[in-house]
Amino acid sequence: MLGNQIQGGLGTPGALSHAYVQHPPLRCDIPDIRGLFYDDANKFLIAPTADRILYWKTTLYTPSGPPNSDPVNEGPVLSVRYSLDHKAIGIQRSRHGIEFRNRETGETCNKKCRADSETILGFFWTDCPTCDVILVKTSGLDLLAYEPQSHAFHLVESKKFNVSWYLYTHESRLILLASGMQCTMFTGYQFSAGGIVKIPKFEMMSKSEANNKPVLAADDVHIVTVYGRIYCLQLDRVSMSLNLYRFYRDAVVQQCSLPTYSSRIAVSAVDNIIMVHQIDAKVVILYDVSLDSYAPVSAPLPLLVRGLPINSKQLSQTADSQSSAYGGTIYGEGWNFLIPDLICDAENGLLWKLHLDLEAIAASSSDAPSILEFLQRRKSDPSMVKTPCLAIVRTIILERRSVPTVAKAMDVVLDSYTRLMKMGGAFPGVRRTHEQNQQLGSQPNEGSHVVSQEPSPGTTVSPAVNPDQASGAVNISEQSNSGVEHSIDRGLLNINISSDSADNTSDAVDKRQQTVGEASRPLSSGTLTQHGQHAGTVAISPIEMFQSVFTLVEDEMMGDPAYLIAVIMEFLQSVSKAGLKAPHNLYVMMATLLARSNRYAEIALFVSNKILEPCKELAMQLMELGLQHPPTRKLGMDMLRERGLHHDYVTAMLQDGYYLEALRYARKYKVITVQPALFLEKAVAKNSAHNLAAVLSFFCEFTPSFKTTSDFGRYRHILSEMV
Amino acid sequence: MGLSSTAAGDGTQLCVFDLRRGQQEGQELDKILFFHPADCPILLQLSVIGLCEGIVTFTSIFSPEEDCDIIESEKHSHVFYQAETDIWMVLVVEKNKENELTWRCSALQGILKEAHSLFAMFHGPIRTLLDRQPSAELARGHLRTFLTDYLSDFNVGKKLQFPTYRDSLKERGTVQMLTVSREVALDVQSLTTVLGSCLGNVTCQSLVLFEDLLVSTTLPPDDTLNLYTYAVLRLTPRALYANASSWSYLRKGTSVSAGPTSSSSNGTTAGERPLLRENLSKGKDGFIAADFAATEARGAVPLTPILWFQQAEERMYLCIYQHKSLTILLLVPASSLINGEEGITHVKKQMLENASQKIVTVEQKLTRGWGGENAYHVSGYRYLLVDPERRVSRASPPGKVTTLAKDSLLALNMLRQEVDLEKSRYRRGDPCHDKDFEACIRTKNNAWVIAKISRGRELYMALEKGDETLLYASTAVEKFSNRYCEGAFSTD
Repeated sequence: MLGNQIQGGLGTPGALSHAYVQHPPLRCDIPDIRGLFYDDANKFLIAPTADRILYWKTTLYTPSGPPNSDPVNEGPVLSVRYSLDHKAIGIQRSRHGIEFRNRETGETCNKKCRADSETILGFFWTDCPTCDVILVKTSGLDLLAYEPQSHAFHLVESKKFNVSWYLYTHESRLILLASGMQCTMFTGYQFSAGGIVKIPKFEMMSKSEANNKPVLAADDVHIVTVYGRIYCLQLDRVSMSLNLYRFYRDAVVQQCSLPTYSSRIAVSAVDNIIMVHQIDAKVVILYDVSLDSYAPVSAPLPLLVRGLPINSKQLSQTADSQSSAYGGTIYGEGWNFLIPDLICDAENGLLWKLHLDLEAIAASSSDAPSILEFLQRRKSDPSMVKTPCLAIVRTIILERRSVPTVAKAMDVVLDSYTRLMKMGGAFPGVRRTHEQNQQLGSQPNEGSHVVSQEPSPGTTVSPAVNPDQASGAVNISEQSNSGVEHSIDRGLLNINISSDSADNTSDAVDKRQQTVGEASRPLSSGTLTQHGQHAGTVAISPIEMFQSVFTLVEDEMMGDPAYLIAVIMEFLQSVSKAGLKAPHNLYVMMATLLARSNRYAEIALFVSNKILEPCKELAMQLMELGLQHPPTRKLGMDMLRERGLHHDYVTAMLQDGYYLEALRYARKYKVITVQPALFLEKAVAKNSAHNLAAVLSFFCEFTPSFKTTSDFGRYRHILSEMV
Repeated sequence: MGLSSTAAGDGTQLCVFDLRRGQQEGQELDKILFFHPADCPILLQLSVIGLCEGIVTFTSIFSPEEDCDIIESEKHSHVFYQAETDIWMVLVVEKNKENELTWRCSALQGILKEAHSLFAMFHGPIRTLLDRQPSAELARGHLRTFLTDYLSDFNVGKKLQFPTYRDSLKERGTVQMLTVSREVALDVQSLTTVLGSCLGNVTCQSLVLFEDLLVSTTLPPDDTLNLYTYAVLRLTPRALYANASSWSYLRKGTSVSAGPTSSSSNGTTAGERPLLRENLSKGKDGFIAADFAATEARGAVPLTPILWFQQAEERMYLCIYQHKSLTILLLVPASSLINGEEGITHVKKQMLENASQKIVTVEQKLTRGWGGENAYHVSGYRYLLVDPERRVSRASPPGKVTTLAKDSLLALNMLRQEVDLEKSRYRRGDPCHDKDFEACIRTKNNAWVIAKISRGRELYMALEKGDETLLYASTAVEKFSNRYCEGAFSTD
């Protein structure tokens, strides 16, 4: 505690934060390595040495894991990218040549460009059906196809234009090529499994004074993929704002302009949240664009390092103290932001993974419905979603927020449940196929990006990683590319839609989107966020709502049952709107609450219009409550009869003394499970020899074996004494 | 009063008297709280009341527990109802020439009961009024205007026409419910929640009606019944339309009523004459209130009526809002509204702000699902279903009942009279045990009239052109029960 206070006194305000990196990081500070590269297609962190290439699979994020390695020829390395099936490695050796190496045979082949007129800006592997490698040159793009047998490349197509620099992320499959004096003119292509889509030429606006026309640098532009949509963020250094564009198939539409507080920014995407790192200010701002709202999720807050070793004696620390603890600086010079959510500290040889602190975000807002929506959209850490969501619903009920607010919150939860269930049931097959295709496309592809401090010409720190880091499941099953192609081809559009509707919470959003991009279909990243996978764990079912919300608040709400009744009523409406079934015990609770408030008339109303759906549990409870209120008991009995619960109905009639009616009913529905003695006892209690004789003779007929039982003898004796 | 002069020729009399008053000789007149017709000679009034008092006292010697229900004389029937302790209402009706049983005692008692319940809802119990003002001017004044307005509904031509055998498939003193799907019911309930919160921390009660049918209520059955009865008499769109067009000769039955001009000059307002048709109209804001044209001369502020709910044990302001076919009765507890009319204005504003959207949605959904006047017609059957405990009934639409032959209706009326007797006999024997009962009677023209009581619920039926076997009748009941009553009347 003391330590905390001292730390807190050092000038930074506590340890409030909405994003953090988890200690320990992956250590990649191996001696002899010549820089660090990131292959965003395979999510490999790559470190070349003199004659080897070391790589870590960042998806199998184990801090202690030793790197894998591949022998390579000696020589300079500007960038490294493994093919998508991992069978080949592409190493850019110079501004004019790339060496491709077959990992099995060790065969190499070189691809060179004309040294006099063009230079190679970079290259990447693609799962596009017509080509495998895209070579980006100052004079345009070369689309190459790879033949694994002969380990040779042939040119499929050449696209000619001037390129100053380019930007590519595997996640979006989108390449942006900058040209023009200020590098503000862009040509774009999407090389996805569905084919090649050319994005219309567009210009990124930037404010400029007459004499000072800044040149747009690759560092100032970021491609972000969230919710299966592709965005681009462009830093306008003159107006200090960040322009957000969204890509559609036939248009690029600027969505908004976000403020910045730093001349250097970096962008990450964690669990579909856009994180804009204000590097100079050492804070991060979060945006959730799912509903096309561009307000930050919360105030700018610093990034935290979590889980530092105990010996530092501080559990929560300020940014400064943290940095000293782990030996580097937060937002230090050596930080490279890898797409989508990794940070490579090249100075210290550390790889961090960014996380959202959902709890902190949830705690920072009192707008329960929107926080619930926010949480329900998060997929990366299901355990951090469900419990807080339930807690929020409980809290707003206990705080007696207005019924419409609570209703809206419950709507959010249930809508999300139905959506996730639908997703989980309907789409994972298609999605997995797609995923496989991306990662294991039969064409060998490769790509790598430089992460080292001195950026190689035209290469950007914009790799792509599959967004399902949490699962880390790289599907290894073989699948012939041509086999899935067709389904993917069709799937792409579907997926486009499905991924949108999956991540957007309402149809309204889709409609809005239609109006936004004039007639534009959103350009999908081709990479899909995984919905179905976590559906079961994030989603909150009506039963869980009952168990973890209503039963828990019931006792505390006893003073004001009317409020709880109203809330349950809204819940029932939400359940019904979502096409779900409410748990029977909720009806029992509702009836009990109403009875406790002496609102028996409403019980009858709700039973008659089926708001309280007939079920045995409710019927039994109504009978119980009806001990104080006979008409309610009747409701319960009627429900038993209507549900065909003959045994219970006969028993109940007997209890109420209607033994002759019960007998008639037993005869009609052949109810033989109720003990004859119970009927006989009632007849005796009535002190009517007449009735007792009738009951006796009934059972003699109805149950042939009755005459042999002791009951028969006993009651006949009683009868004879009565007469 | 205008009414009395026109109704003089008809032999019907209605009186209210208090046995505790006028006990000394020469003060008998003091017993009389209300007498219709008002222009009946005092001596005649006194003799009617004297006879009634005598009978009441005499019968109570033999039956201290049970009140006297009816006295039949050669030309008249006297129907008794003890509205409050020692306060009696007596209806005297003339018998017809054939001396046929054309009405039912309990149906007529039902009128007295209804009149009294409504009166008590608006003015409080008569005894309270008498205690407040022993001279009884207040009670007499209220009874005079209220019962006169109430009786105006029974005017046919120049006579008072009370329910006859033709109404034997109707049950006064019950609520008719609209059957809605679960989804719509939930919507309605959600609306009810919003209505309940119009006052903030104190819950308002509400009734929601669609056309003349009840959709939802938060009040106990008796209070619901009274308010529902009032709504159907005066407030629902159909009743309001009748109010507006009451001058029209096309609508017989309402044309002759207490003159509005005389009543307004008497200084009454909507709160005091809630049953005066001309008083009520729908304002631009959708709320139904007294029509102020009549009261403007006095510069009176229209008062939101305060009602007394006996079962809920609370006095509440009544605000009536109407959107198309939907009528909402919002009840604001008087005790939690300190600043009276101002508070009401606030509540109304709150209601419009919070509930308007829901009201529109609910109205649309109900209209979409509404099967029209004949929604509850079951072809081949003319029926009446009554659940006395819940005060709910459902019946064949009136238009369909009129197709029955007179003989069938008379037979049914007779059967119901018998069942009424049987019920009261049994109730005396074992009040907390339901007795099942069934009767199928073959009458003229191959018709069956059927009565069945099962677990306290009652079913009456008339089947014409039926087969002659009893099996036919019981099968018809069984089918009806399984199909429309969830097996409530099925033979065990």
